[in-house]
Amino acid sequence: MEKDQRSPGRGIRQSMSGLHIWAGLLMGWILYAMFLTGTVSYFKDELSQWMRPELAHQAELPDPALVAQRIADELVASVPGSPQWSMRLPDARTNSVYAFWRTAPGSAEGGRRAFGEANFDPATGGKVTARDTLGGDFFYRFHFQFHYMPALWGRWIAGAAAMFMLVAIVSGVITHKKIFVDFFTFRGGKGQRSWLDAHNALSVFGLPFHFMITYTGLVTLMALYMPWGEQLAIKTQAERQQMTAELNAFIQPGKPSGQAVPLAPVAEMVRQAQERWGRENVGRVTATNPGDSTARVAVARGESGRVSMSPQYMLFEGTTGRLLEVREGVGSAAETRGVLYALHLGRFSDGVTRWLYFLVSLMGTAMVGTGLVMWTVKRRQKLADPERPHIGFRIVERLNIASIAGLSVAMTAYLWGNRLLPAGLAERAAWEIHLFFAVWALTLAHAVLRPAKAAWIEQLWAAAALLALLPVLNAVTTDRPLWHSLGQGDWVFIGTDLMCWALAALHAVLAIRTARHRPKLRAAPAKGRTGIIGGALEEGRS
Amino acid sequence: MMHLLSFALCLAAFAALALAMERQQHDLFGRPLEPALTRALRMTGTSALLLALGVLVNWQGWGLGLVMLSGHTSLAAGVVFCTIIRIMNGGGRRGAPPRTAQSRPLPTSSRSSP
Repeated sequence: MEKDQRSPGRGIRQSMSGLHIWAGLLMGWILYAMFLTGTVSYFKDELSQWMRPELAHQAELPDPALVAQRIADELVASVPGSPQWSMRLPDARTNSVYAFWRTAPGSAEGGRRAFGEANFDPATGGKVTARDTLGGDFFYRFHFQFHYMPALWGRWIAGAAAMFMLVAIVSGVITHKKIFVDFFTFRGGKGQRSWLDAHNALSVFGLPFHFMITYTGLVTLMALYMPWGEQLAIKTQAERQQMTAELNAFIQPGKPSGQAVPLAPVAEMVRQAQERWGRENVGRVTATNPGDSTARVAVARGESGRVSMSPQYMLFEGTTGRLLEVREGVGSAAETRGVLYALHLGRFSDGVTRWLYFLVSLMGTAMVGTGLVMWTVKRRQKLADPERPHIGFRIVERLNIASIAGLSVAMTAYLWGNRLLPAGLAERAAWEIHLFFAVWALTLAHAVLRPAKAAWIEQLWAAAALLALLPVLNAVTTDRPLWHSLGQGDWVFIGTDLMCWALAALHAVLAIRTARHRPKLRAAPAKGRTGIIGGALEEGRS
Repeated sequence: MMHLLSFALCLAAFAALALAMERQQHDLFGRPLEPALTRALRMTGTSALLLALGVLVNWQGWGLGLVMLSGHTSLAAGVVFCTIIRIMNGGGRRGAPPRTAQSRPLPTSSRSSP
């Protein structure tokens, strides 16, 4: 950035550069964690399948209409009097049916507003008996609300971080300026310059995605961050219901009549939806006051193939199965939100698009990571005594190690915990998460206690080893080793195993590059000194 | 299949656009290419990108098409970028002393001062 001092407009570009550096640094560690866990969340359904190995591989998608009937029967029997229940029908990416329900008022299960939830087996309709785990949903929830704090606090922190990200993106573009001239530029072996080129490439190639994902991330929680418009305009209960109907397909229960009438066949309703939207494009079945004469059933359209989360559903009279209404559009403001929301989650994706989302998001993660490391690379050259850097430098350096290399170790440890913690452990799902944070804290302690370069290398190797051995652990502790998955054509397990090895290789390459790095041989301009991390990873990407 | 086609188009497009750039011509060939050739490369690259957009939009409509194009372009640009680095490093190792390609004077001065 200093290289460009000759050019005019230096005032604004230098102030933007300052803004970029500090906005990026202050929230950088949080942003890195949000980016990486968010990236992984594009495969959260697959990860959840992998983390519940007891649930058999689903070779063929069962007919959603039959599954809906099966689960509906089960829910009618197991939660009688529930004012509302809702199930997500299985698709190619899920092998269980997630359902939740409001508990009946005055029932033993809890108070008026209490909810219950469970995963059901699509083949039998019974509750699944898999190990207790949050699965991929842990990374997904951590990505926007963190943990060990009220969800609302977490979401506010995530929102602040996203605002910082947006500032960093805009100021970064202004600072960079030569986006097109330097589009493919990489000057290797030049320390800070190489880091800057790598950071620029990662940022510019994925710029549409990075900007979109940050902005739409804020939109997903806009009702929390900016509630005032809604508070002013929406006053009555009826208005509130009308707004809810614009935002999602959960129909709200009216007042039950108290007259018991059994629910008409749900399978027939789902079939009508299948005719309209396609056999495997039915997303969710929601029933209100089932078993009452006022029952309603909404069958919602699936998410694939349409870039919008706006609700589309068919509404049926619950007692007769008569179609009451087809809802296929919302107002333009609601639709704008629906589209932005959908862009963030990418649930409409086919397999290839999902991988594109994952890879470009990984580039975003690397963008934040290279940015963080660059802060130390740039300052290391200016240190009065490189052997004894000042406290600010040391804090950044150590936090970088734990938040970049350490997070890889901790996330993999979470998966190890999933295989190793005893099935009967009380609060097992919570312990998997405690393990994640315990390991992450240990990597921070390790980063503080060890010399910086050694800490980087050891943690990168630890991550590589844990990742490389995870398929082995899976083979030993479950009956679904790689050769078995290959025979079954079980791409969730094959993919997870192969991905572990690919990521292990990536971490190993980074570790080797870091270990091999000899600043003096690189002949970086005069002040190279012991640029330990400084160029340590500089060629790791190439 | 459509994904493969549009990714190949994006890859070809960015390769052509990269070869049309002064710095990359210096790095890879040691001299600038003919202006006419450079122009042709730039045209080819732009057309290939537009064609990829056309393929995807025709296949999936504007919403999904644009999303997919964005993914393909980001990835293709990354692949071209890494390939250039690889070629330059490989060339250095085989023949001349290492990193000649990078240490060669770069035509930056003419660009950074407008």
